[in-house]
Amino acid sequence: MASNNHSHELKLTKFEAPQGLKTASFAFMFIGLITFVLGFAKNPERLWTSYLTAFFYFASIAAGAMFFIALNYAAKAGWSASIRRFAEAMTSFIPVMLVSSFVLILGFKYLYVWADASKLPLLTGGKSLYLAPWFVTIRFVFFGIGLLVFRHLIVGNSIKQDVTGAHELTHKNTAYSVGFIAFFAIFFTMFSFDLLMSLLPTWYSTIFGIYCFGGAIQATFAVLAIMIVWLKNSKWISGYVTEEHQHDIGKFLKGFTVFWAYIAFSQFMLIWYANIPEETEYYIMRSLNGWMSVSFALLIFRFIVPFLVLLPRSAKRSDSILVSTSILVLVMHYVDIYWMVYPNFFDGVPQFSFWEIGIFIGFLGLFLMTMIKFFTKNNMVAINDPRLQEALNHHVTY
Amino acid sequence: MAKKTLGGMAAIFLEESKVVAAARKVRESGFTKFDAISPYPIHGMEEACGIKRSWIPYVTFIAGVVGLLSALALTYYTSVVDWPINIAGKPFFSLPAFIPIIFELTVLFAALSSVVALFVVTKMPRIDPPVIDKDLTSHKFAIFIPETDTGYSEDRISKLFNELGANEIKKVSEY
Repeated sequence: MASNNHSHELKLTKFEAPQGLKTASFAFMFIGLITFVLGFAKNPERLWTSYLTAFFYFASIAAGAMFFIALNYAAKAGWSASIRRFAEAMTSFIPVMLVSSFVLILGFKYLYVWADASKLPLLTGGKSLYLAPWFVTIRFVFFGIGLLVFRHLIVGNSIKQDVTGAHELTHKNTAYSVGFIAFFAIFFTMFSFDLLMSLLPTWYSTIFGIYCFGGAIQATFAVLAIMIVWLKNSKWISGYVTEEHQHDIGKFLKGFTVFWAYIAFSQFMLIWYANIPEETEYYIMRSLNGWMSVSFALLIFRFIVPFLVLLPRSAKRSDSILVSTSILVLVMHYVDIYWMVYPNFFDGVPQFSFWEIGIFIGFLGLFLMTMIKFFTKNNMVAINDPRLQEALNHHVTY
Repeated sequence: MAKKTLGGMAAIFLEESKVVAAARKVRESGFTKFDAISPYPIHGMEEACGIKRSWIPYVTFIAGVVGLLSALALTYYTSVVDWPINIAGKPFFSLPAFIPIIFELTVLFAALSSVVALFVVTKMPRIDPPVIDKDLTSHKFAIFIPETDTGYSEDRISKLFNELGANEIKKVSEY
């Protein structure tokens, strides 16, 4: 029996989105829509590159949230039961993501060499089959639908449990989660290969999927950390989310900061060392025309700064330090995807203006809106989770 | 090594929650050198006993930095100063190639130093402390107050232990 050392007063009230947040998300969506329509008419290439970057950004965070949920169910983790609903809220972007996937298919011909039927046969080594547009589209749509199905099963069960309290739902979710992790490993890899790596179809790196995964999960934990700090101090929840949960999410954030750097370096070092022309082109493109400073910015602000800042225990337990580091990580997640997409276009010269900002803001509005809807409809904590007591008594030793 | 002998009073408890509450009470009563003994780690016991954070993480950090610098020195000395070899036309001091070595030595130094520090903190070679109660390794909990503690008085302590609901109070002559 765990002794109850933390006597919290538990309180949970209905979430009501602050008017400002609601207005902002509507305004963001509107700005995004305007930019999209303008770009569609005036500057399609620029529109689709910025659309791909922003789409991948939010899709990877929503998928990362699914991974976090599945990870906790598969590991039968108790400490996270009271914050799991926050990640579940992030997955409510997945239906929107599926719709935006269909929109992105319209832009394939502006983005990818392989979308041009006359150029496809030039690709060798079986790539002309793998990158045949119909095959890419099937994989791409399948990833979105798979995410939606697993979300329906896992998050659906979790919400059902709020009413019924049935323990079997947790056991069922454990099985679904193991399935999801296998699905995620295979199809997220293909998702990142198809969307980002194939922008330069002559280049390949087998670790590329893990690189995208590492960055996505790091960003997911950054979003979770911000939500925890915000909701911990909010009027809707008290006692369910504590500094202890914040501390552990902070540890995860730091852990995946290191993981991302580890994978990024593994990819870079082997290519740099072997020095084979067909591999080095990727990094050469990212060292010319001002891209070198972006590359170094990634190293410094996506790894070195967050890693050193998050080292002390007190930093992870400090609201302001954790939130500002998370914001830095989220900005760098965008820069990272931008760094993977943009060197392939516009003669390899960095381009950044309202096109990128407008589309990003539009997606941000959608992301916020889906989360607001989710929280308005559901409890903010999985109140009947069998492991909730363990989460409430969670305590990080030193 | 001369064997230290230290007597004191021990209270045996059968419930985890009681021993945590007792530890807090004993600390609040002004004792500073007491110890809590349990068969497994108890969440919240550090706070109850008033144990400060361990200084091992600082050892780990400093040893890690030392490891990093020594690896840097090692790779620089071997590849640039002592025996420079031209490999694929790369510079003699090629940082990316050295990072795995720097990483490994950082981890090695940090890990080994942490283990050594742990031995120092826990006075590890001493593996034969006197037995207060052999069930303390399976299902009982104890609070032990050594006779050197401030305000040590057998009457006062047994009264305190009784108030805390101890199942058994033992006078330990050697610890």
